[in-house]
Amino acid sequence: MDKTYIQDQGILELYVLGELNESEQQQVEEALTQYPDLRSELERIEIKFETLAFEQAIEAPDSVKNALLKEASLMNSKTLPLSYTKNNRSYMAIAASITGLLLVGSIYLYLEWTTAKNKLKLVEDQNKELNIKIDDLANDLDTTRSLFALINNPNTEKYILKGNELMPDAKVISYVNNSEKSVVINTEYLPELDNEHDYQMWADVQGEMIDMGIIDTHQTMLAMNYIENSESLNITIEPAGGNDHPTVSKLITNVYLK
Amino acid sequence: MDESLLYFVKSLTFMSDDKALILKLKSKDETALSLVYDKYSAALYGVIIRMCKDEDAAKNLLQDTFMTIWEKSDRYDFEKGRFYTWAYRIAKNKTLNFLRKPNHLIQIADLSVYKDRTEDVTRNIDDLKLKGTIKRLEPHHQKAIELVYFNGLTHREAHEEMNVPLGTFKSYIRQALKQLQESYVTVIAFLMILIEGIR
Repeated sequence: MDKTYIQDQGILELYVLGELNESEQQQVEEALTQYPDLRSELERIEIKFETLAFEQAIEAPDSVKNALLKEASLMNSKTLPLSYTKNNRSYMAIAASITGLLLVGSIYLYLEWTTAKNKLKLVEDQNKELNIKIDDLANDLDTTRSLFALINNPNTEKYILKGNELMPDAKVISYVNNSEKSVVINTEYLPELDNEHDYQMWADVQGEMIDMGIIDTHQTMLAMNYIENSESLNITIEPAGGNDHPTVSKLITNVYLK
Repeated sequence: MDESLLYFVKSLTFMSDDKALILKLKSKDETALSLVYDKYSAALYGVIIRMCKDEDAAKNLLQDTFMTIWEKSDRYDFEKGRFYTWAYRIAKNKTLNFLRKPNHLIQIADLSVYKDRTEDVTRNIDDLKLKGTIKRLEPHHQKAIELVYFNGLTHREAHEEMNVPLGTFKSYIRQALKQLQESYVTVIAFLMILIEGIR
């Protein structure tokens, strides 16, 4: 149905009066959505009929309204609880789904959280370890640096203690700096002892042997106690933990200082 | 103020299609139903009672019409026309169906009942005469509108009733509406401005 046909044939009036069959009505409704001016023409016709009807209005008895409201209310209470429970059920289903999703989500997040927490702990531990390592390395570096500085110091004298017949393979390099008052030895060529014994170093001061400390063979470079006016350096094998006096029979090497 | 003028003035306020109210009605709000009834019942009752000319039947049909409005309000589509037009079609169909019912015809055929009823509604018949602006129309225009709008005849039935060709009858309706428009012109203009303003 085109616009001109609708207008010329007075189809809108028939539409308002409800005289069109279903397919005609549908065609008019399609045309109405297509042509806004047709829509406003319809509205004008509707308003005319509506105004006419209001002019001819007759008040209906109150009984009609009362009966209507009672019936509607009855129907509402009859249908609403049904639809209410139906809605309620679907709401419950929606709520249950949401709860389910939330639960699954929560479990997932909890697991994620624990994993993350564990990972974080691991990383923290590793970090701590690395920090310790870095500290150790820094300390080692400091030690090495100071040892290096000491060795390269022009005032440092180098003495090599060679093993006697008791231990011919033993060699200890010692660096003595009288101005810095320090003694450092290199234990690299000192054979390992059993757990019962330790090497101990002694300084000879006017015939008296003074303890310079136990030699830890696990450390390559080792600082010993500096003893003033030492005439010679001596290393003996002593029971583990060291001795107060040197066991002369167990002297493995000695060197006289300049 | 005479009665028709009163209704006319009332129609001015009623004329604005209250979308919010109809939406409430669609959501099965009983207060909305009460308000919609207050707004439209008299206009619809005027149509129904003129069509069936039977007060008891008209009361039942009016209630029935509003029950259908209540139940089917979700099917009303703002895009397809005004709410009153939709409600009018329901009232008209219900009344026509009632008038076509065989038992109704039997009732009419029962002369004693018919006689009683005629007496009963005599008082109303005068009330049922059209009033207001439509009286200013030429008689054949008035008749055309009355037949299709208040008697529920189709255009086809009505043109035969008036013994004029269908095309002529259609032009009667159109001219009648045109003249009604001139009578309402200020009102309509005002309303159109209002409607355009709302859009």
